[in-house]
Amino acid sequence: MLWIKNVTVIDPAQDLSGLRDVLVQEGKISAIGENFQVRDVQTILGIEQIEKVKQIEGTGKYLFPGLIDVHVHLREPGQENKEDIRSGSRAAVRGGFTSILAMANTAPVIDQRALAEFVRLQGQRAGMARVYPVAAVTKGFKGQELVEMMDIRAGGAVGFSDDGKGIQNAEMMRLALEYAKMTGCPIISHCEDSDLAGSGSMRRGEVSARLGLRGIPASAESVMVARDVLLAGETGGKIHIAHVSTKQSVEIIRTAKAMGIDVTCEVNPHHLLFTDQDVTLTGTSLKVNPPLPSEEDQDALLQGLADGTIDMLATDHAPHTWEEKAKPFAEAPFGINALETVLAAVWQNLATGGKLTSEQVVKLWSVNPARRFGLAGGTLQTGAAADMVLFDSEYRETVTADSLESKAQNTPFLGKELKGFPIMTWVGGRLVMENRKIIPQK
Amino acid sequence: MKWKHKDLLDLENLTAEEIKHILQTAIPMKEILRRPIKKLPTLRGKSVVLLFYEPSTRTRTSFESAAKILGADTTNFSVVQSSVNKGESLLDTAKTLQAMNVDLVIVRHSSSGSAEFLADVLNAGVINGGDGQHAHPTQALLDYFTIQDRLGSFEGKKIVIVGDILHSRVARSNVLGLKKLGAEVALVGPPTLLPPEMSYLGVKTSHDLDRELPGADVVMALRLQLERQQSGLFPSIREYSKLYGLNQERIQRTEKDTIVMHPGPMNRGVEIASDLADSVQSVIEEQVTNGVAVRMALIYLLIGGGVAHVVD
Repeated sequence: MLWIKNVTVIDPAQDLSGLRDVLVQEGKISAIGENFQVRDVQTILGIEQIEKVKQIEGTGKYLFPGLIDVHVHLREPGQENKEDIRSGSRAAVRGGFTSILAMANTAPVIDQRALAEFVRLQGQRAGMARVYPVAAVTKGFKGQELVEMMDIRAGGAVGFSDDGKGIQNAEMMRLALEYAKMTGCPIISHCEDSDLAGSGSMRRGEVSARLGLRGIPASAESVMVARDVLLAGETGGKIHIAHVSTKQSVEIIRTAKAMGIDVTCEVNPHHLLFTDQDVTLTGTSLKVNPPLPSEEDQDALLQGLADGTIDMLATDHAPHTWEEKAKPFAEAPFGINALETVLAAVWQNLATGGKLTSEQVVKLWSVNPARRFGLAGGTLQTGAAADMVLFDSEYRETVTADSLESKAQNTPFLGKELKGFPIMTWVGGRLVMENRKIIPQK
Repeated sequence: MKWKHKDLLDLENLTAEEIKHILQTAIPMKEILRRPIKKLPTLRGKSVVLLFYEPSTRTRTSFESAAKILGADTTNFSVVQSSVNKGESLLDTAKTLQAMNVDLVIVRHSSSGSAEFLADVLNAGVINGGDGQHAHPTQALLDYFTIQDRLGSFEGKKIVIVGDILHSRVARSNVLGLKKLGAEVALVGPPTLLPPEMSYLGVKTSHDLDRELPGADVVMALRLQLERQQSGLFPSIREYSKLYGLNQERIQRTEKDTIVMHPGPMNRGVEIASDLADSVQSVIEEQVTNGVAVRMALIYLLIGGGVAHVVD
């Protein structure tokens, strides 16, 4: 039993933002109220001895629903040198995430029920964040045959995506959207026309020209976004566009929503925090796909968040080994390690900077993804599982290789001090992280 | 002038004075090349490694000659005969060179930024012998030496660079320095090889060669990678040559004693006609000679600082 006192609760699902006391019993939120007295707590929890209740002073801190990240690469099975489900889910709770969606581009690709169940099971064994598998759309990511969507859903998958590659064949995408209607799960589209993207390594523009790096035009993403929303409209399918990074994509999705198409989308915080101007020839931690946007694109992304066109934040946590990233820019793999630094970076630069409100940040990372992917959680409503984050907006920490739970260090914040971190994380009422350290589970 | 750079990675970080200092240092070097005995003791005991990941006869030979004339020992670390083929990373190669305590590494690599990557790891000096599409500073410097030799100065001179600008490290480096030196540069090529983003260079761009030629003091043709045609960047060699190929007749449009340059190796009959390449206006062979002199100057400045005067 738990009594968190006098904490600023932000729970957009119930439009709540203010000082409250929160009570937890049997892994669930049992009450939220103002200024509870011992007698209230005894009554609500039905107990005599108040000593049985762990009391936490929340003054000056925030309590959020455990954050939900719908785009994470955990690399298991097959690429455990980069990350595994244990290390990735530990990194998640250290970063304030209590539910994560694991992408299917592992080795082998998650394209059968047994594999999806393995991912889920490994998540349970780790006992940290709730790990939900996203399964492939096509067998082996080959873009030729659909996976057994119904069977895999029964095995725990909450979405389907060939993320990392994208489906080039439009008819394949159309069939996927049509068939997936039975599952109720969205198709998550990694929008990238592989011919337009070519062997580029950053956004095409003046910076790519100056650095002599092959550029990826914004259209490599946007033409696929246009294609996919049209196909979703035609089939009545459910689509979620991953990592939107261009102005045209935002405009297309805005129009699609106005047309009544069942589309949602996410934006990666690094696309809001950095632009192509930040790319240097040796700074491979900023080599990401889709590539960092132009300033104009970034403004459009923030506008899309402000007007609700963009539904959620998602990290696209993509760990790579140090050796893989210690290469000339064009040769290094795409991806940024984000789970443990992203909330601080977003809070410090966007919430404190006035670009997003703290309520928006929480909404974009809790109730919105929960609703779209049909997940439990994302709210602190009475009766909900007690997935919670106690957040200290003043907590400062220097990001070091040793401090990270993730196996990888490919973050642009390595060696830098950030401010605003989760200091306690609970999953189903179990304390899994306290004072920035993982609590081993029995 | 005291030389203060450990490396030469591109021309972005050099001032006009530093560029002129390199060119000035190259003048006595060129004298040495005319001597019957081309060998100095200046850099005796210094080790220079030529780390070439891309095939290059000219640039490698030019650097090797330059280093040897100055008395340095050179070692070739080229892709065919090294552990690079066994998959050793650039980082491990750099660490190996570091362990061998070499004085200077000259690197050519197909990835932009590879020279900077090495320079960050190595205590030794690094000269960029061409990295991806990013920079080829020694080619630019030898071009400046040649222009200065022929035209005396850069101020107000009109220099037209024609060809595959997008993929050219030679064009990028050339423009950076030419602007600093006060020349007026025009870049010419078809839109697919000279796309809008090249505007970052801040010089005139055009798709019409004939319109840019009048008044040009220098016309530099770039080597056309013929395989770009297969990837659809232009319809045919024939049309390219018709629109952008240099020849005797076309060069007369400048109505000046224009000099014609090419970084080599040439595709004769594609970007430049043989009659022009071998004409009195062509300085292409001088570029090669000047390349050795300029590279001697650079090697001297980077690792010869503090030793006795170079010309004994």
